[in-house]
Amino acid sequence: MNALNISAMTLSCAAGSGLASLRKALAEGRSGLRANDYPHCSLETFIGRVDGVEEICLGGDLARFQCRNNQLAELALDQDGFRDDVARLLERHRPERIACVIGTSTAGISSTELAFRNLDESGRFRPEHVLTWVHTPHTSAAFVAAALGLEGPVQTVSTACSSSAKVFATGARLIETGWADAAVVGGVDSLCLSVLYGFHSLELVSPQPCRPFDRERRGLNLGEAAGFAIVEHDPDQSFGRLLGWGETSDAHHMASPHPEGAGAIAAMRAALDGAGLEPGAIDYINCHGTATPMNDRIEAAALRTVFGAPPPAGSTKAWTGHTLGAAGITEAVFSLLALKDGYLPASLNCTSPEAESAEFILTEGRHQAVSTVMSNSFGFGGSNCTLILGAA
Amino acid sequence: MKQRLHILGCGISAPGLPDMAALARVLDGGELDETAKAGAGISLLSPRERRRCPETVRLSMAAAEQACTDAGIAPGDPDAVFTSGMGDVAISDYMCRTLAESPDLLSPMRFHNSVHNAAAGYWSIGTGARGDITALSGATDSLVAGLIEAACRVETSGRPVLLVVYDLHADGPMEAVWPARQPFAGALLLGPEKSGGLNLDLSPIAGLEADEAPALPSVLAERVADNPAARVLYLLVAALERIPGPIRLAARQGPSLLIERA
Repeated sequence: MNALNISAMTLSCAAGSGLASLRKALAEGRSGLRANDYPHCSLETFIGRVDGVEEICLGGDLARFQCRNNQLAELALDQDGFRDDVARLLERHRPERIACVIGTSTAGISSTELAFRNLDESGRFRPEHVLTWVHTPHTSAAFVAAALGLEGPVQTVSTACSSSAKVFATGARLIETGWADAAVVGGVDSLCLSVLYGFHSLELVSPQPCRPFDRERRGLNLGEAAGFAIVEHDPDQSFGRLLGWGETSDAHHMASPHPEGAGAIAAMRAALDGAGLEPGAIDYINCHGTATPMNDRIEAAALRTVFGAPPPAGSTKAWTGHTLGAAGITEAVFSLLALKDGYLPASLNCTSPEAESAEFILTEGRHQAVSTVMSNSFGFGGSNCTLILGAA
Repeated sequence: MKQRLHILGCGISAPGLPDMAALARVLDGGELDETAKAGAGISLLSPRERRRCPETVRLSMAAAEQACTDAGIAPGDPDAVFTSGMGDVAISDYMCRTLAESPDLLSPMRFHNSVHNAAAGYWSIGTGARGDITALSGATDSLVAGLIEAACRVETSGRPVLLVVYDLHADGPMEAVWPARQPFAGALLLGPEKSGGLNLDLSPIAGLEADEAPALPSVLAERVADNPAARVLYLLVAALERIPGPIRLAARQGPSLLIERA
């Protein structure tokens, strides 16, 4: 396979907005989680909320996209010189040759929730809430394409928590088949009552900061994030190469993973096959690791099945919260930072891993050069995506 | 660029149009079967699952199952692309209404069924498909996004891919942003170019403001105007070899598509 490169990237999440801020948080061991202060939500939990989202105002032609998801996307596009990177991409390729593939699960639903809180006397949306570009799962990809002036194929991937890992595969396919020369890929998910109360109804929300892979873990914390990357052949600079991916389904249950992790195992193996690598070639794994009792146990067992003795692995969700539709891009960025910086972040808040995973879960950060990393993203509906990324 | 696809099988699920035979009858000058509902005749879920699953699942699964049967392919075999502009507007209505009134009473089952990939997930569960069953959106241009995605997958894998396009009608406040009055689902099992049968060439075009295709009977044209998912009718009718000319599907963003008989 002629490897594709990630020539630019950016991420804004609770742990920091922009790569410099994220690197600082990792170095200082500082989580972005805080006691729940999301408006209209009384749940006792911790959340990964991004500061400053509410102040973002989308102007001009982009005003039709105003909602929390797109405000967060706008905030993220302003970090790390990403807009300049896209401008340079547009100097090399015509706009209709650049695809835009964005993953999301929440999309603009927080604005739909608001519209329902403010229905008029006859039970209809008030005029200010009639926003066709907001109340659709497609809002984020449509916004990013419009904001960046991209005119190639535009697509929203919405497969719950695997969404923004799958965007790399879709982008790569569009390039391989000649529909595009390059792709802007990414993911955006923002906090909303639907996911806070929804995961609470499933009894999966932890009242404390989440503790992925710790034997005392009590569930997940919801978070929000927006991240973007440029995928292209032969760029001047590169954060890493997209070596392989595996996309599979569990065929088991809408909200519970397959008990033996069949879909997760198949995704990891498909990604290794696609990359032409043996399991022993992987130096670090950024796990899905949501910190629910069942998910982490099944993922650890799946890692055992695929790797025998897995390489150093951890979940970064205690830094960011579970950012759902943005988890794939969030953890791809963390994985690419590990390649670039030679620093493997701790699976924060994991002080006492279960015996089965004790020798490979990172309870502390580690300086170690790595050349090939894996990132796992598993979602509702039994949708799984594993990415393998290599040093540039 | 141009990408060639072979149509292996088709399916349809909409009020008055329960299967491809019903569509053929309408093309022959017959009436819609007004008693026929969308989402009837699925066999892949247990009766209990059929009762519990969301409306989008019944709607999309009926069309998807027909397309596999039509092609003679086991439904769990092909990778699949489910594409929908709004996903499950009925569950969105329930979720947002409940969150506004009594958030602690939110149903856990309705929550996990609210994901955009619910139809894709139930398809995997019902068929036992362990390959990739993905879920997309392109708002009113979900058919265009789905066709491009399915074409890329056929080209890169050399294997058949199931494309399912579906959307409900909104019944409540969401009507203001999704004015469809009827649900609609269509499915195409697409494969690599093959001699015999129907091969289509797909290519991107620019500057198209509205769909351009040979005229459909008025009852079908009304569906296309009503629900963006019903734009797939142009392809389903072409698959019955009733549309002689090219089909041009306009997209509000990204490339529009030219679809010609190869």
